[in-house]
Amino acid sequence: MAESMTRAVEKANAKAIEGLGDAGKLHYETSVRFGAAANVHVLVMDNGLRILMMIDRSAPVVAYATWYRVGSRHEKAGKTGLAHLFEHLMFNETEHLKAGEFDRKLEEAGAESNAATWLDWTYYYEAVPKDRIGLVIELEADRMAHLVLRDAQVTSEKEVVANERRYRVDDDVEGLASELLYRTAFERHNYGWPTIGWMEDIQGFVPSDCESFYRTFYAPNNATVVVVGDVREVDVLVRLRKAYGALPRADIPDEDTHPEPPQTEERVVVLRKPTATEKVIIGYHGPALADPDHAPLAVLQEILLGGRASRGYRALLIDKELATDLRGWASTFRDPGLFEVYLTARPGKTKDELLAAFDREIVRLNDELVTQDELQCAKARLELGGLQSLDTASGKAEQIGFYDTVVGDPAGAFRRLEAYRRVTGGDVRRVARRFLVTRSRTIIHVVPETNEVAA
Amino acid sequence: MPTDLGGGAKLFVESSHVLPVVSIVVVLRSGAAHDPPGKEGLSRATARMLRRGCVGMSAMDVERTIDRLGSEIGSEVASSSTAIAGQVLVRNLDAFVDLLARMLAEPSFDDDELGRLLRETHAELLESLDNDRALADRFFRKKLFGDHAYGRTTRGTAASVAEIDGNAVRAHHRAHYVRGNAIVAIAGDITAEKAETVARKLLSALPDLPYVESGLEDPPPLPGRHLVFVDKPERSQTQILIGSLGTSAHDLDHVPLVVANAIFGGTFTSRLTREVRGKRGWSYGASSRMGVDKKRHSFVMWTFPAQGDAAPCAALELELLDKLVTTGVTDREVRFIQKYLTRSWAFEVDTANKRVHQAVDVEVLELPSDYYSAHLANVAAVTAESASLAVRTRVDPKNLVVTVVGTAKTTLDAIKAAIPSLESTEIVPYDAEAK
Repeated sequence: MAESMTRAVEKANAKAIEGLGDAGKLHYETSVRFGAAANVHVLVMDNGLRILMMIDRSAPVVAYATWYRVGSRHEKAGKTGLAHLFEHLMFNETEHLKAGEFDRKLEEAGAESNAATWLDWTYYYEAVPKDRIGLVIELEADRMAHLVLRDAQVTSEKEVVANERRYRVDDDVEGLASELLYRTAFERHNYGWPTIGWMEDIQGFVPSDCESFYRTFYAPNNATVVVVGDVREVDVLVRLRKAYGALPRADIPDEDTHPEPPQTEERVVVLRKPTATEKVIIGYHGPALADPDHAPLAVLQEILLGGRASRGYRALLIDKELATDLRGWASTFRDPGLFEVYLTARPGKTKDELLAAFDREIVRLNDELVTQDELQCAKARLELGGLQSLDTASGKAEQIGFYDTVVGDPAGAFRRLEAYRRVTGGDVRRVARRFLVTRSRTIIHVVPETNEVAA
Repeated sequence: MPTDLGGGAKLFVESSHVLPVVSIVVVLRSGAAHDPPGKEGLSRATARMLRRGCVGMSAMDVERTIDRLGSEIGSEVASSSTAIAGQVLVRNLDAFVDLLARMLAEPSFDDDELGRLLRETHAELLESLDNDRALADRFFRKKLFGDHAYGRTTRGTAASVAEIDGNAVRAHHRAHYVRGNAIVAIAGDITAEKAETVARKLLSALPDLPYVESGLEDPPPLPGRHLVFVDKPERSQTQILIGSLGTSAHDLDHVPLVVANAIFGGTFTSRLTREVRGKRGWSYGASSRMGVDKKRHSFVMWTFPAQGDAAPCAALELELLDKLVTTGVTDREVRFIQKYLTRSWAFEVDTANKRVHQAVDVEVLELPSDYYSAHLANVAAVTAESASLAVRTRVDPKNLVVTVVGTAKTTLDAIKAAIPSLESTEIVPYDAEAK
């Protein structure tokens, strides 16, 4: 497979493309095994554009994702939400397309398309019938360099984002609590502000903010293109050269992020909202995704909170009937994030009761080894979940792009599955002792507005 | 073509060896429409009890086995169906099938477990009050469909869940978990031969009884314009649903209406999205959809503007709907959406799971046998005239239900003023069904 890709690169480079000259040459770097039967080919264009390609003939479609290595962590105080607002603006006018034409062309091609922004990255994806790949490449390359930012569009899109914020945060108890959790847990690192931005920042943006952000971060050398589908390699590579070859590099500024200092005492914040029952949201400072302890922490998460046979479920939902729901997640960020836990109380039950029962399980994890059966169950659940995310071409493209962007490994999804298999009971106990530490946790206590809160 | 499993049961299979995973769904042609009046939530409670113990296994034994096998099992109850769906790593398929077969045919229905489930359900009902979108949907359906099965809740209310007991659950299981009511769909890393063996094993212990008729009729129309305002404190935003009855999949103008709806609010460049979000920025989302079920279902627009924009947004939606009905759609719009619907079809059939579920839908929802297979040809045959006529025939702006979740003291008066010719206005506390 690597040989066929190197030949495809040679052919694509040999193709004379009008107006391009020697620009946009492709360089084959390596091929990485992706599961049992596939390879991700890694290429780089002269201008720094990183290309990850995987042939997948399971359906006559192709998924195309563009990952920009910019997220809300790259923003500045007072300008929060800019990366996300910008994601919205990317669907607007370019020098070659009138407003609305981008979406119309994609819809006419039968495309599925969307975008997402988070702390470390922004990505755009399209999935199209395989014969429409050329259109997607042209559109994505065009908006990478030729976006037009006008006052009317920025004003309208700010309103849309403000409404998105109302929907996801201001009128959503859990969204608001999650925002407060990160704001409280991160006092120094930019992970403390929300990706969607503070409302006053969203409303204060002007076109020049957006223009400056665009010129700084949207460039081939800050992007990775992922192509997964039923395509002919050389055909795609020629199209990529033609579309992106002439785009110039940008000077990507060095990042100005402060590591979060160790948290030395527990932080508790009370949030009163019109909600039926108390909720407890806990955030322990956790590892970065690339930390070797991340996989054991994910296994711990399954043992503690994953499914109805988990320790937490049995203790809080079945045995004592204290909770309606409990969930957890070890955040998958480039820098150390949080191990998040969400507990929803039954009517009449309190935060203290929930927390006491939960803490008993944390003590057990610190003191005792988990059983082999618990390990086996957790690993099997993680294996199924990992495979489920690879069902479609879009799913595969997302996993390849995500792991490449965050940990620099396009086959990271499979590396994770291998890492899970190696986790031992001792690993689980070690990460419990390392991360599930009371002094380094933050608690958001959501209280129904009508309730009294114990001091 | 399905495989006849005998006694009315059928099997649909889609093999795909892309991932070492097998999906299995056992669908019963019974759903919340079969819940006795006053016991809404019974179908759902019965389905959820399947994993809370079966012969020789406690609830926790079942849970541990599900996890150990690298599998998952869930249940979903709709008006016309109950689906017990699972996925498993292919290496553990046989053990998974043994478990699922026992759960389906020999559940324990232990009274303590049922009591625990009902207490959980009650707490979940309270918790669901945090979801404004779900509240809007619930009260919209309740008003639009009234006493019809489509207007009832699959989840139940606090009062109806309190009426469910072990006898009701056991009786429901005896009547509905029968071969004649069952359809099995299997997709993934499995051959057709193995799938048939699996399906026969799954249904082997179910009683050989026939399909249970629901006696479902088309819901009656609701004349006039009706506002249901779901009052919830401290909202910065509203959830607005505006709609009416739609079509049955058997109507000759069903596909033309599907096309018209796609033009109106089915894509990101549709009229509704362009006017509400694109030009005015009033709502993060603005869309319309048509429900499809055994009988005539709904047409509904959804937006969620800030409280201050709610009234003008509702007025704009009514204006856009009026225009759609009076002037119809254009040839250009139809040609555009035909390309979209035809080319995007690739993503309706790009996985084995999606393909097998289409076959199940046809069977369970009693759709025309060529509903999916002829979809592209049917879409291609639509003209601007047929789409416009379908809208005029099926959607009448004089007969609409408007549901708004918001804070009444700040928004109600403006909303009422924005909707001319209101025949009725109800103000409902947001927690009306959870007490």
